[in-house]
Amino acid sequence: MKSYPIEIGGVKRELPVVQVGDGVAVALLNLLGDTELTEAVAEEMAKRLPEGIEVLVTPEVKAVPLAHALSRITGLPYIVARKTAKPYMIQPVTREVLSITTGKPQLLVLDGTDIAKINGKQVAIVDDVVSTGSTLKGLRELIESVGGKVGAVMAVFTEGTPRDDVIALGHLPLFNPEEA
Amino acid sequence: MVTMETYPIEIGGVTRHVPLHEPFPGVRLPLVEFLGDIEFVRAVASELTNRVPEDTDLIVTAETSPIPLAHELAAARDLSYIVVRKRRRPYMVDPLIQEVESLTLGAGEVLWLDRRYTERILNKNVVLVMDVVASGGTMQALERLVHRAGGRVTKRLAGFHQGNGAEGIETVAELPML
Repeated sequence: MKSYPIEIGGVKRELPVVQVGDGVAVALLNLLGDTELTEAVAEEMAKRLPEGIEVLVTPEVKAVPLAHALSRITGLPYIVARKTAKPYMIQPVTREVLSITTGKPQLLVLDGTDIAKINGKQVAIVDDVVSTGSTLKGLRELIESVGGKVGAVMAVFTEGTPRDDVIALGHLPLFNPEEA
Repeated sequence: MVTMETYPIEIGGVTRHVPLHEPFPGVRLPLVEFLGDIEFVRAVASELTNRVPEDTDLIVTAETSPIPLAHELAAARDLSYIVVRKRRRPYMVDPLIQEVESLTLGAGEVLWLDRRYTERILNKNVVLVMDVVASGGTMQALERLVHRAGGRVTKRLAGFHQGNGAEGIETVAELPML
């Protein structure tokens, strides 16, 4: 199986190249379970976080340990935008986005109790990989709809087309499925 | 203005006044949230760290809310961990699939473990970690999954226990049903 080498803060990994849809394969970054890489990424990201950011917002699931570690290092609170509305949420706010990895509509949900922590604040969105940016767009709209200002978008990697609206630690190419 | 009843929980000097959730009339449950609360997660993790056996190779948990706790425990003990997913992901190849037998949920939840991770579990000593356990159904399903992947579960740890059941799981504190 083909793999793609990365290095962040001295931590090296070989990312497996896996097919995720017709005609496209990606280098699969999974921070879930990799405490060493997650902590190294959080250290590097903390150095690049712009001044004035007051709160971190991350989409469920794969960036949760990263947001947790970044929050511990910076002292900034973090909020997780969930993929489903939970029965215990109070007046949740939702946005629908089209997920590129699954091709299905995907909900992003903020618990009403988290809105006060975002309203009027400078927010940094924290994600693992920004590819087409559909999750990013939905998350940005969601944050702005509850009165937050998106001051920065932080990602481990951009993927496919490089983009200048994201502060990333690196860039991942897309692959042909034959390479997977 | 909405006023909300809360219930105080204190772990290792960290106190949270958590909201009460009423899943059905007459029963109210304190609602513990690990996502987004570093200080609380670290307090719970520090109570559990010493209960992770010396010979542990790996921590296994389920998405999503126990992830920060698993991360803290793993970091404290210099271990890696595996997050079993609740939805099939497109990149999974030949995943292990395990149904959760749950009395409370009715509709069965399903756990997914990418085949890539099963070889990391083979012949390993595994500690299972959850945030809150009630019937223990998810923990049981995790245990079967680890067993099917050829690993040994040496300890079952959770932050909190709520309700009846869940024998064999060590927790930091009990959450009452009010």
